[in-house]
Amino acid sequence: MAPHVTTRASVPAVPETGAGARRPRSARSGGHWTAWAFLAPVVVYLVAFYAYPLYRNLDLSLHRYTVRSFVQGGAPFSGLDNYRTVFDAPTFWPALTHTAVFTGASLVFQFSIGMALAIFFHQHFRLSATLRALFLVPWLLPLIVSASTWSWMLNSDSGIVNSALGVFGIGPVNWLTSPDWSLVSVTIANIWIGIPFNLVVLYSGLQAIPSDIYEAAALDGATPWSTFWRVTFPLLRPVSAITLLLGLIYTLKVFDIIWIMTKGGPADGSTTLATWSYRLGFGNLLPSFGPGAAVGNLLIVLAMVFGLLYIRMQRRAPR
Amino acid sequence: MISSNVTRRRVRTVAAVTLTACLAAACSSTTGSSTSSGAGSSGSNGTYTIWDPYPQFDDSADWVKLLQKCGTDTGVAIKRTGYDTTDLTNKALLAAQQGNSPDVLIVDNPVVSTLADAGVLTTTEEMKVDTSAVEPNLLAAGQIDGKTYGIPIGANTLALYYNKEVLTAAGVDAAQIKDWASLTAALEKVKAAGKKGITFSAIGTEEGSFQFLPWFWGAGANLTQLDSAQGISALQLWSDWLKNGYAPNSVINNTQTTSWQEFATGQFAFAENGTWQLANAEKAGFEYGIIPIPSSSGGTAPAPTGGEFVTAPVQTDTGRYATSQKLISCLTNADNAYTTDTTLSYIAATDAVQAKQVAGNPDLKVWVEAVKAAKGRTSDNLGTKYPKISEPMWTGFQAALSGAKSPQDAFTAAQATAAAATK
Amino acid sequence: MNRSMKTAIGIMLTAIMLFPIYWMINVSFTKDTDMRADPPHLFPLHGTLEGYRAVLDQQLPYLGTSLLIALGTVALTVIVSAPAGYSLAKLRPRGAGALSFVLLVAQMIPGVIMAMGFYSIYLKLGVLNSAAGLVLADSTIAVPFGVLIFTAFMSGVPAELSAAAKIDGAGAFRTFWSVILPVSRNAVVTVSLFAFLWAWSDFVFATTLDGGGAQQPITLGIYRYIGNNNQEWNAIMATAVVASIPATLLLIVAQRYVAAGVTAGAVKD
Repeated sequence: MAPHVTTRASVPAVPETGAGARRPRSARSGGHWTAWAFLAPVVVYLVAFYAYPLYRNLDLSLHRYTVRSFVQGGAPFSGLDNYRTVFDAPTFWPALTHTAVFTGASLVFQFSIGMALAIFFHQHFRLSATLRALFLVPWLLPLIVSASTWSWMLNSDSGIVNSALGVFGIGPVNWLTSPDWSLVSVTIANIWIGIPFNLVVLYSGLQAIPSDIYEAAALDGATPWSTFWRVTFPLLRPVSAITLLLGLIYTLKVFDIIWIMTKGGPADGSTTLATWSYRLGFGNLLPSFGPGAAVGNLLIVLAMVFGLLYIRMQRRAPR
Repeated sequence: MISSNVTRRRVRTVAAVTLTACLAAACSSTTGSSTSSGAGSSGSNGTYTIWDPYPQFDDSADWVKLLQKCGTDTGVAIKRTGYDTTDLTNKALLAAQQGNSPDVLIVDNPVVSTLADAGVLTTTEEMKVDTSAVEPNLLAAGQIDGKTYGIPIGANTLALYYNKEVLTAAGVDAAQIKDWASLTAALEKVKAAGKKGITFSAIGTEEGSFQFLPWFWGAGANLTQLDSAQGISALQLWSDWLKNGYAPNSVINNTQTTSWQEFATGQFAFAENGTWQLANAEKAGFEYGIIPIPSSSGGTAPAPTGGEFVTAPVQTDTGRYATSQKLISCLTNADNAYTTDTTLSYIAATDAVQAKQVAGNPDLKVWVEAVKAAKGRTSDNLGTKYPKISEPMWTGFQAALSGAKSPQDAFTAAQATAAAATK
Repeated sequence: MNRSMKTAIGIMLTAIMLFPIYWMINVSFTKDTDMRADPPHLFPLHGTLEGYRAVLDQQLPYLGTSLLIALGTVALTVIVSAPAGYSLAKLRPRGAGALSFVLLVAQMIPGVIMAMGFYSIYLKLGVLNSAAGLVLADSTIAVPFGVLIFTAFMSGVPAELSAAAKIDGAGAFRTFWSVILPVSRNAVVTVSLFAFLWAWSDFVFATTLDGGGAQQPITLGIYRYIGNNNQEWNAIMATAVVASIPATLLLIVAQRYVAAGVTAGAVKD
C-alpha cells in the first residue's frame, strides 16, 4: 500500500494540485479529459452519495425541527440557534474534553503498539504471517459483539478483569459504572479495535523499505533503537502521517463502542461529541434532530481542520 | 509477465462472478420485498406491511403465523418486518417523512404519543377500531388530548421476584414485606447470611427509568417535580442500597436482561423484573416467588405499564384503512389476544381475557392485580413531555448511584433540565 | 533472539490481543444461568450448545448474504477507486488536490447521517431493502480510503514503466490496465481487505437500508436474538463466532498474498 519509498523522494499521499505541473503533460489535447474520465466514477459517487447527506445534515442543523416538522415538513429556519444551544449546553465542554482525551490517547497507543508490532512481525519468523492475519480478527466482528464482550469482561462484579485483579490483591474497579473510569475503559476498548488497522498499514510501509538500507545501517554500527529512530521512522513518515490522519478521522466518528459499553455515562462521564450527537438525534424517545445535526457538523469541521493541517504539512515536506 | 496475466485473469473472473452474484442477489431480493412505488403507498395493492418490535420471532414463530392468518382471513398478503425496539421510532419517523409508512405499526407504548404528535398515526376513531373493552389505565398511554391513537396488544409491568431458598436461609418471610423499611431490613438479613440482596436495572436509558418509576411513584412523587422530597427519597433508597452493598454496582449498567441473569445465578434474594420473565423464572433451577413492589409507607406501589400498542399510521391512500382496521381487530380480538399474550408472557388488556388467563394459570393472579394497579408513563396528559422528563431523570439517578453527585443535587439538576425542556 | 523465541513471543502477543475473542467464545457456550456468575468461569465447563444450534438453524442464509455483499463491495470499491487513484497519481489533472481534500472530508460524515440520506434516494430509486443497494452503500465506506491508498501507492510506481508503455503506443487506459494495475497488486489486496472487513461488519447501513429486505447480512441476523425484552447472549456470541470463521480463513490467505512481497515491478533506486 505504502508509497514505494526510495532514498530520493517520498511521496505525499495527497498529491498537490496540477497547477504549475512539474511533469510535462501529454501533448494530446485529450490528456486532461482522460484524467477526469478516470476520475468520473468517483466524482459521480461523491456527488450522488456524499453531497446529499451532507446537505441534509446542514439543513437539519439550521432549522428548528420537531418530530412533527421532521415528518410533515415546514420547519422554521432558525439560523445558528441550534449551534448556540449546543455551545450553551452543560454537556458541551465535557464532551469536547472527553473527545480530545479519547482521540489523543487512542491515537498515541494504537499507533505505537501498531508500530511496535509491525516491526516485530517484520522479522519473518515462523508463523509470523499467520499471526499477523489473526491480529485482524477483531475487525471481523460486528461492533455490537466486540463492545459487548468488553462490557462483559469489565463488569464490576462478574467480569474477568476484576477477577484477575483480585488474584493480585487489587480491589475491584468499577470500570464502566464510575465516572472516573468509564472514559478509560472505552478508550482501552477503542485502542484494541484500532491496533489491527495501524498494524496492517504500517507493516505495508515497512515492507516498502528496501533491505539494503538496513544492511548499510548495520555496517555503520547502528543499534536496533537508533536504526529505528534514525532510519526506519523517518522513512515511514508519509505512511505514519496518513495512518494518523485516517486514525483521527475514524476515531472522531467512533460512537458504537462507547454507546454499547456505557451509553456515554454515567452522568456524561464518557460522552464524546459523537455519542452526544447520536444521543440527541437517535438515542432517546424524543429525537432532537437540530442539535444532533449541529454537533455532527462540529465534528466534521474539527476533522476538516486536521485534514487541512495534514495537507499543509505534506506541502511543506518534499524530501 | 506471466504473473500479471494470471492476475488479470483472476481479477476478471472474480469480477464476473461477483457481478453475477450481485445481480442475482438484486433480482431475487426485489421479488421478495414489497417495493414502494414512490411517495404515497407503502405496499402494492394486495400486500399490507406490518412492522413490529419483535425481531426474535421469525417466520416459524406463532406470532408471525398469526399475522399471516389474519391476513388470509382478511384476504390480503402480509409483509411483516421485525425491528429492534429502540430503533423503531426513528424508522417510523423516517418512513413517514418519505411516505413509506407501514399499514400497521406495533410500537412500545411510551412512543405512541411521540408518533401521534408527529402526525404519523391515525386515531382509533378514524380507523373505526373499538377500544371500549380495554382497561382505561392501559389505554391512557396512547391517549393525548382525549384522542386515542392505538390499542394495546397486552401489558406487562414490574414486580419483585424472590429466591425462596435464599430467603428461607436468611430467615426472611416474603409475605411480611409491605413497605420500604421491611424490604431494606430483609436485604440486611440476606447480606448477613452471605448472599446478595437485590438486583435491578438502573441503566441510562428508558429501561432504567422504567425500573425506577415504581419506587418514585411509590414514594408519592410526581413526574412534574423530580426534586420533591418524595422523589429524592426514592433515589436515596437506591443510593443507600448501593452504598451498603445490598445492591451490586453493576446495576448502573444493567439492562433488565443482565439483571435477570444475575438473579438467575441463584446468589440474589430479589430481582425487580417484569412479567415477560415468567418463562425464564420457571427454568431458573430454584424455587421462586413474586411480591408486588412495596410503596414507601405500605401497600403496592404503582408500577409503569410496559407493552406495545397496535397503531395504524397515516396513509395517503385512505382506502387502505378499511383493511388495516380488519387486521387490527383480528390481532386484538379475544382469542388471538389470549394466544399472543401467552406467547409474549404479557397480561391481556381487557378484563375478559385477563380472567381467561387467570383461569388457565392461577399464578398469573399476582400479575393481573399488578397490571390493574399500573400506570402509563405518558398518562396524566404528559404525552411528549414524558421523554423530556425521563432523560434528565435517568441522568440524575445515574449520577447519584455512581457517586458523582448526592441524590439531592442530582435530582435538583435533573428537575432544572426537565423544567427547561418542558416549558 | 533466535527464531523460535520470536515465534513464542509472537504467539503470546497474539494470545493477549485475542483474549477478548476467547471470552466471546466462552460466552457462546455458557448457559443463561451462568452468564453473570461471580467469579466468572474461565472455561464453559457446564456449557450448552443451544446457541450454536440456533445459529446453525437460522443464520446460514444471513452468512451467505454477508459474503455476497462483502465480495460485491470489494469489487465495486476497486473498480471505482483504482482508476481514480491512477488518475490522481499519474495523470495529475488540475483540481486534483481539491478532489483529494473532498475525499478526506467525505470520510468524516457519520454513518447515521449517510444512512438517512440514502434512505430517501433508495426509496425513489426502488432499491431499498435490496442486497445490491447495500453493496452500493457499503462501498461508500471504502471508496475514499481506496482512492487514497491507490494514489499513494501508484505515485510510487516509477515513471519509467509508464514512459515505456507510452513509447510502445499505449494510451492512458492501456497503461493503467496492463502496466500499472498489475504492479499495484499489493494496493489492490489492501483495499480489498479493508473493503471486505468494513462491509462485513457494517450495521448502520444494513439496518436502515435493508431492514425489511428478504436478504439480510449477518449483522442484522444477530438481532434475531435481541428481542424487545430479552437477549440471548450465547446465541449472539455464537453467531459472531460462526460468522468469523470463513472470514478469518479468507484473511489468512489474503495476508499471504500481501506478504508475497513487493518484488513484482518494485521500486529500485
